[in-house]
Amino acid sequence: MIQTKPNDSHKELHDEKSLKGTLFSVGVLAAVIVVMWVTVFWIYMDRV
Amino acid sequence: MEQTLRETIRNNPKKILGVNPNDAKVSLSYLTVAFVSLLIGGILGMLQGLERAGLIQLPSWLNYYQVLTAHGLLLLVVFTATFTIGYQYANLSHSFGGLLSKVRKLAWIGFALMLIGVVMVTVMIVLNEASVLYTFYPPLAAHPIFYIGLVFVVLGIWACCFGVFINYRYWRKNHPGQTTPILAFFAMGVFILWFFASIGVTIEVFTLIPWSMGLVETTNVMVGRTLFWWFGHTLVNIWYLVATSAWYVIVPKIIGGRHFSEKLIRLVIILLVILNIPGGFHHQIVDPGISQSVKFLHVFMSLSIAVPSLMTAFAMFFVLERTGRKLGGKGLLGWLKKLPWGDVRFLAPMIAMISFIPGGAGGIVNTSNQLNQVIHNTMWVVGHFHITVGVSVVLTFFGICYWLIPYLSKRQLTPKMNKIGVIQTYVWTVGMALMAGSMHIVGLLGDPRRTSDTTYGGHEIAVSWIPYEMVFAIGATLLLIGVIIQVYAVFNMMFFAPKGHTEFPVAEPEDDATPAPLWTERWGLWIVLLIAVISMAYVVPIVDMILNAPPGSPPIRTW
Ligand code: HEM
Ligand SMILES: [Cu+2]
Repeated sequence: MIQTKPNDSHKELHDEKSLKGTLFSVGVLAAVIVVMWVTVFWIYMDRV
Repeated sequence: MEQTLRETIRNNPKKILGVNPNDAKVSLSYLTVAFVSLLIGGILGMLQGLERAGLIQLPSWLNYYQVLTAHGLLLLVVFTATFTIGYQYANLSHSFGGLLSKVRKLAWIGFALMLIGVVMVTVMIVLNEASVLYTFYPPLAAHPIFYIGLVFVVLGIWACCFGVFINYRYWRKNHPGQTTPILAFFAMGVFILWFFASIGVTIEVFTLIPWSMGLVETTNVMVGRTLFWWFGHTLVNIWYLVATSAWYVIVPKIIGGRHFSEKLIRLVIILLVILNIPGGFHHQIVDPGISQSVKFLHVFMSLSIAVPSLMTAFAMFFVLERTGRKLGGKGLLGWLKKLPWGDVRFLAPMIAMISFIPGGAGGIVNTSNQLNQVIHNTMWVVGHFHITVGVSVVLTFFGICYWLIPYLSKRQLTPKMNKIGVIQTYVWTVGMALMAGSMHIVGLLGDPRRTSDTTYGGHEIAVSWIPYEMVFAIGATLLLIGVIIQVYAVFNMMFFAPKGHTEFPVAEPEDDATPAPLWTERWGLWIVLLIAVISMAYVVPIVDMILNAPPGSPPIRTW
């Protein structure tokens, strides 16, 4: 491992515990659900 | 070093001695049946894809509906059930340090019963006596031997259920105050669902046997469909529970991480067991004769499964991100790059998990009342379950093979076999993306499922489906290549790979994790709740269907 300055390693530790990727991924998941649902609902409304 | 070796021998002798060869034989036998079924089912699948595209015409002695019945039953029931049993019994043997000999005997009895049943069913399909598709909805009537074969299959599954229950009780009695290892807890959930799922369909089959023999004149079609989906809907969540056992417990170990909080994992299992069965009517949303309020209840219950599913998604992203960051991943998504994409034991279940996102989203579409009317009985549905069971579940199963089979056969996963597995995974992914993707779209354009010829005399709408059907054919061809590679890999690892020691990858909890709570082991209570929820969902509608029954239907043979 490369030697890091103290404030760097603090940031690194912070980065290690970060969960922003999880938040982002859950957001993508929600978007897929919404897009698929709305698309098919729109087709339904178009056909009734 | 010696210290740890001695400790290992004392605490976990299996680590050194490997699997009990008698237990391994049970699992390997089930897995053999699974992959023979996959091979046959896959060949039939490709024939269907080519016929749908108008590229081939099946001969009269092997018609489309015969092929479709065999494809559905061999893959949906035989492949998934035998794989599940082989894998879950291996998990149980590993968790408990070996199976009880009477449990092993039950597993063999189950094996024999299932084999007899599958042969009876298959022979009837081959003889063109049972082109009733895997749902065998009455009034379509098969030869009585077809239904008797199904009874044997169910009895075989029950033998395996009892084996698991007996071994679980024995272990708990001998380890008072301890929670069972997490994989054994999964196995309990899986086999409790198998047992309660199959009650409905067994009652159905017992009413169909005398009817198909002509001893009873008519049958209640609505009750038959309802009892079938009590089973069918639950089967979906059995697969899902089996797949998640690998996602939660195996995948973290392979990527060098820890598993998520065991309390949450157990809660997910308990929720899936209790909430699952009363969703069957979402397969019958357009069926007449079921009140709106009962349909609403089932739609609500099937949507409630989204809760444990979303918990799983969050937990898995969490584990992947934590591990990736520990390995040095930076930024928003840099952790993804640090994961071992070149390791088939990770790659296959990872793609399986990713595909569960569109799969699950499609499921929410299917279970919504109005949206169901857009997609009902179209190719969308076929696309949906090839993504869910065909990728999320099956690719997880494939990924499991690359450590489970060498572990059982006391052989090794060579780098070359790993590479073959990686190629297989990509072939499968591309094949399914093409096939299931185009099925989704063409379904929205109205292309019906379960229909061999969809030209409709050259009508312009039917013509617009043809390009998509050509894409099915390309996907189907790739998939058959994928099946062949997978079957080769499985039997190579079973019989020919170099001898050696293979690890059974079970993740550990985080260092600061709290132990799993003992109250989660109260299976008696979970079963009481399960029965209460089933009664709430099924007693009223089934009594209503029987008391206010329309005239029953005689057996009908449409082929
Ligand atoms: C080689 C890979 C596969 C190919 C090429 C393939 C292709 C197809 C095609 C073309 C259909 C016919 C759709 C219709 O006319 O309605 C179909 C139906 C079906 N497939 Fe597959 N499939 C494959 C793998 C699987 C797997 C792995 C499973 C499950 C584990 C599966 C389960 C089913 C089921 C349940 C049906 C519906 C049968 C019915 O409607 O009665 N397939 N498949
Ligand atoms: Cu369902």
